[in-house]
Parts: sequence; structure tokens; C-alpha cells
Amino acid sequence: MSLLTQDEYRAIAADLILPTNAFIDGGYRPAISGKTFSSVNPATGEIIADIAACAQEDVDFAVLKARESFDDGRWSKLHPSERKDVLIRLSKLLARNARELAVMESIDSGKTIFDCETVDVPETIHCLKWHAEAIDKIYDQVAPASDDHIAMVVREPIGVVGLVLPWNFPLLMLAWKIGPALAAGCSVVVKPAAETSLTTLRLAELASEAGLPKGVLNIVPGGGADVGEPIGRHMDIDMVSFTGSTVTGKRFLTYSAESNAKEVVLEMGGKNPAVVMDDAENLDRVAQHIVNGAFWNMGENCSASSRLIVHKDVKVDLLDRIAYHAREWNVGDPLDPETRLGALVSQAHFDKVAGYIAQAENVVIGGNAKGGFVDATVVSVPSNDSILAREEIFGPVLTVIEVSGFDEAIQIANDTEYGLCASIFTANTKRAIRGARSLRAGTVTVNSFGEGDISTPFGGYKQSGFGGRDNSVHAHDQYTQLKTIWIDLADDADEVVA
Amino acid sequence: MTPIFNFDGIYTPVVTPFNEDGAFNWDALADVIEYLVEKGVHGLISGGSTGENYAQTVEERIAVAKFTKERIKGRIPLVVGTGAMITDDSIALAQGAKDIGAEAILLASPAYSVPTDRENALNALAIDKAADLPIMLYNYPHRTGTMMGEDFLDRVGRSRNFCGIKESSGDINRVHLLARNYPHIQMGCGMDDQALEFFAWGAPFWVCGGSNFLPEEHIALYKACVIDGDYAKGRKIMSAMLPLMSVLEQGGKFIQTIKHGVALNGLETGAMRPPLKGLNKDDKRTLEQVVRVLKATIANITAEGTK
Repeated sequence: MSLLTQDEYRAIAADLILPTNAFIDGGYRPAISGKTFSSVNPATGEIIADIAACAQEDVDFAVLKARESFDDGRWSKLHPSERKDVLIRLSKLLARNARELAVMESIDSGKTIFDCETVDVPETIHCLKWHAEAIDKIYDQVAPASDDHIAMVVREPIGVVGLVLPWNFPLLMLAWKIGPALAAGCSVVVKPAAETSLTTLRLAELASEAGLPKGVLNIVPGGGADVGEPIGRHMDIDMVSFTGSTVTGKRFLTYSAESNAKEVVLEMGGKNPAVVMDDAENLDRVAQHIVNGAFWNMGENCSASSRLIVHKDVKVDLLDRIAYHAREWNVGDPLDPETRLGALVSQAHFDKVAGYIAQAENVVIGGNAKGGFVDATVVSVPSNDSILAREEIFGPVLTVIEVSGFDEAIQIANDTEYGLCASIFTANTKRAIRGARSLRAGTVTVNSFGEGDISTPFGGYKQSGFGGRDNSVHAHDQYTQLKTIWIDLADDADEVVA
Repeated sequence: MTPIFNFDGIYTPVVTPFNEDGAFNWDALADVIEYLVEKGVHGLISGGSTGENYAQTVEERIAVAKFTKERIKGRIPLVVGTGAMITDDSIALAQGAKDIGAEAILLASPAYSVPTDRENALNALAIDKAADLPIMLYNYPHRTGTMMGEDFLDRVGRSRNFCGIKESSGDINRVHLLARNYPHIQMGCGMDDQALEFFAWGAPFWVCGGSNFLPEEHIALYKACVIDGDYAKGRKIMSAMLPLMSVLEQGGKFIQTIKHGVALNGLETGAMRPPLKGLNKDDKRTLEQVVRVLKATIANITAEGTK
């Protein structure tokens, strides 16, 4: 799909009909309290919608409807190929409405229209399609047993699942969660981030049009205390999958422990190292990867390569090249297709990021933060102990740490409470493989920045998360329970009598 | 549930008095409005089918609504009917309602064209957009040919304005469906002979043509059931009202009967606009007898409660 002009995108944005109500049991409905909260376009500060501010009672109703839908099997017991057909239809409906969704995502989140059009929406569609296609291709197992027995190991949908989403990739993270959860046959209750509810609500309507039965996909917008915690503590939710900050994620473990011991899958923060050794090939290409890894999506990305750990011998050269490529990351109106850095998601988040930059003693590149927009920024710190090297800033800020050798680089790379992603740049194959094995992270890339793709698992070590993985067939596992079915085939009259 | 507007109580779809030549009898309409407000109904509906909306132009309907709004003088809310064959007419009526300061609109399915749920919902959303006022939906499949189905109800939830529904299908399963699955839409009784059942399922309001001439008796049932939760008393009142329901619904002359009932109270209602004609002598006599018995019976029941 070719991109439009800034004027055309603005015209589309002005013409959008924004969904504002919760989506429960197959239809839109206001919060039971009648309360609303404002959704703000972070690029303009303008209130674009008043969204239903749901609370415990709305969560209860959504869970009730999800439970009804799960128990009567309208989705969970549907033939796998029929579930596949519905999700494929949904992916086609998303494609048909791609432009509307891209613009809606941009004005709601501050993300650039370029990213929404070229990454978020197409990957969302691809993700749902991929999981849909997998539905009728995943087999159960027959375990080794004697001739007198059959031992089947089967997977069953886990039940009603609470999905709590972040604001940095509203549509894509929704797809990462509902793709495998719905494919597995679960019914879900989704809490979008309060900052970014619009496309989640719109997708639910399209899912209904695609034929997803009522009650299977419920969207309950609202705040963390009002909706997130009730989901975490709900006695009739079987599992929660959460993506967001580590602080919030840990709370779900408490909620689980204090309620029904529901399963919890956490995808949380990251302070991801990019290790560049002195023998790295093609520093210009390395710089492009580093810049992309650090600044893509305004750095509002848990897998952002936000710590550059660079060998002293190539540091100056690499930073020069990073400065060159960072110039391409211009800041501006997210609806301008030329813009690479849009607005940070909210005033509060902007203030936080700007606060980190204000603490930097050595700004190498950028450093300008104004009106919700932040330049691509590179700061140099004396050691990994700096707050800028330890805390997840979640903005376009790359922190540079100098090292003298391979072992030191790996030691510093691993010296973090997080372990989501890491990358290593070296032309030495042994170093590359030793480094990849040594780096304590869920995804390690060699000579590139990336997250793999839909076919590879995504998730973290340490305080970046646990309990399961997004993406790939492994994502299906976390939304299922294992069951053993043991069948006695013995044909012995004496045994039967006994 | 905290909707953007509470449709609580007895909402009277006001009759439209005409002169013999078919012109509006404004003085009589003013008298009817004053009578209803004084008797304590909780809201008025202008341009409902009981008001013979089908026999009036859009301009006439807006004029009647404006007149009604002015005469109410802010004492109780006014709901303006927007039901029409053509979407543009409904939109004009909705905009008219907004312009005159109505508190809400009544939104019915367009008659005769038999839209699908999706078409009907898009139609309703277009009308809503024109007024941006609280909406009382009006589900009356016997008149429109179209049921406001679940797909319709799910789709109109896009807008918070859809906060009430006058349910006139007569299908008790609809009462159960609305009560259980659509608690965010206040359910109102639009099927007079099921009023007790509606109240039992939590309906907070009743749109009743008969309240044009028996407001106190309709309010008595509402009070017994909704305010006092006294269903034993409610059953007695309902039982006393059922003969009236029978006359209203089974005679096929709903509006004529109500207009004659208003006339029995000494208020003018004049002629019917074509194609309808007034009641014959026998029908009038039947109504008069039913009303006499009903009033006496309900007065006794109400008096019992005060002893």
C-alpha cells in the first residue's frame, strides 16, 4: 500500500468515527457507571474521544459473558478449521480497513503514520493470519505406553483469559495476545492501555463482523486500578497475559497469589544491550542497526537496544556514523509520512523521558525535548552504574558505555535486572556464538538488531518476564492446559472381574 | 447503571387534538399537556404514533414538539418522536428536537422498508448524530416489520446516547434478553398488558397511551411496583387495568380509544386525521364502562394501602 500525503492523512483523521464504548458480549456498551475518560492525541494535545471508564462491575460482566461463551463451546469447541476461517476473515477485514486503523493508531498514540502503515497494521494482520493458519496444523501427542494402554497427551484451551496490553504497540500487542489465545479456543477479556484504546475497540467490532461469536472477545477500557487489578484478582479468570512495565507486571503475581492462583504470563521491561566489538564488520551498517534499534517507535519499545556497549577502539568511529544516521530520524507531525519520530504517548511519559535526559552529563547527539516530542538522543556514561544505563527510559535515548574487551562487554551486558533482548556485532564466529550463548536474554541477534518474526518466540529472562512466550507455535502453549488421557486396553476377563 | 439520562416513571405519548377540518387545536393540546403535568406523569412524548405522527408533515411535527416543549415550561422532560419512513425526515426531526431543547428523542425503525439489523443500526446512528441527545429506542415490529435484534443493539452501542428502549414487541423473551444482556439500556414497557412483567424485570419506565386519560392509575401501578416494590398490590392494580388493555389492544382502534378517553375527561380531541375514523357508539360505551369500573377498583386498592 502506497503512502498518502500529510494532508490526505489529516483529512482521514478528521473523518474517522472513533469507537468510545466498551465492547462486551458482541456489542459496544458504555461503562456501567456511565463514567468516561479522555483520550488525547499526544501530538496535538487535543481530546479526540471520551472513552468508557470501566471498573470492577464491567469486568465482572465481561468475565461472565466470556465464561458463558467458553463453557457452552460456541468457540472453544468449534471445529478448528472453523475457528481458523473466522480469524482469517478477521485478518481480511483488518486489511480492508488498514488505512483507517493506521490513522486511528497514529492519532491515538503519537506513533508515526509511516510505522503504522508499514509495520503495526501489516504485522497485526500477518500475526492473526499466522496463528489462524496454525490452528488446524498443531497435533496432540500419543505417549509411549504398553500394548495394553494408550496414553494421549492433549492440549485444551485454558479457559477465560485476561489480556492486559501496553500502549506502545496497541494493535500489534493485541494481535500477539488474541492471535494464539483465540486460536487455542479461549475466551478473552482485554484491557487496552488507557492511553490507547481506540484500535482495540475497533478491532473487536471487526471480529464480530468476521463471525467471532458473542462473548469470546471482550474489550474493557479503563485504568489499571479500575480494570487491570480486577482482572488480576478475578476468581473466574484462568490466566492473565500481561505486557507492560516490570513494576506493574509483578503486581499480577500478587493478584494471582491472593485470588485463584491463576496462571500469569509476563512480558515486561528491558534495558537491552547492543555489544559492538572491535572486529565488527561494516561499522556503517552496524550504526544503522543501532540507530534503528534505539529510536524506532520513539524508543517506546521494550526490546529497544537502549544500551550501546562498544569497544574503545571503534567507539569514536561508530558514534560518528550513528550521528550521521540519527539525522534521518526527524521529529515531527506523526501524520506526515516523512516523519520518523512522532510524539511520545502522553504528557506524563514525555515528562519522565525529559527528566532522564536532564540528568545526562554527556549528551553526544540530540537532547532536545519539547512539547511532547523528543529528538533522537545519545548520551555517554562513565559506567554501567549510571541511572541512564540501568533504568528503562522508554524513549529515544541511547546510552553508551565503553569497554576494553569481550569478557568485560558480556559481563556489563548481563549486568542488568532485565533480559529481554540483546545483540552482538562481531566478525568473529566463535565470539558471536559464545556471546550469543552467554548473553542472558530471550532473544539474541548477531550482527543485527531485531526481534525475529512471528515464527520465533519472544519473551524475556530475569525481570523481563516469564511464564510463556509471545509469537510462534510456543505462544499457543501458554493458552492451553496439558491433559493426559490414559486408556486401558487390556482384554483379560480375570482382570475385568477383579 | 448510570446512563446519561434516566427514563424513570410514566411517559405519556401525547395525543394530538385536531379541529374538525384537520387543523391543530392548539388550545386543546395545551389543556392536555397541562392536565398531564398536573397529574404527575414523569415525561411527555411528542410525535409518537399515539400522537398520529404518521398523518403529519415533518414541519407539523416539529411545530407540535416546539409547542409542547414551551407549554411544559421545564417541569418534566420532553421526548420527541423521530420515527419516519425516510431517514432524512428522521434526521430533520432529530435536529428539530435538538433545536427546541428537547431532553431526548424517541427513535423507531423506519416502517415498511424492513431494513436489516445492520442497516437499521446505521440509520439509527445517523439520526443520533443529528441530535446527540439521549435516545429512547422504540421496538415495535408489528408496526415496522423489523425487530431491533441483538446485532442492532450491539451496533448502536457505539454511542452512549442509546440509553433506553421502549419494548413493544410483546415477546416476553425480549424482556429477558434486554434485562440480562443489555443492562446498559434502560428497558421500558411499551406493551401495556405486560407492564407488571416489565416492572418485575426491573424496567424503570412505562410508555403508556392510556396515561393520556388515566394518569393516576398508571402512576399507581408504577409506584406500587417500582417505588414500593409491592408486587401483591401491583398485581391487583394490573388485574384491574387488564380490561382496559383489552379494549385498547384488541379493538384495533388504539388511538381513537385513547382520544375518546381524553374526551371523557372533558378535554377536546376532535377528529381523527385520515385514514382513521373515530369510535362508534358501541365502542365508546364499552370504553366508558371499563373506565368507570377501573377507576373505582384502583381507587379502592390504593385506599387500602393508606389505611
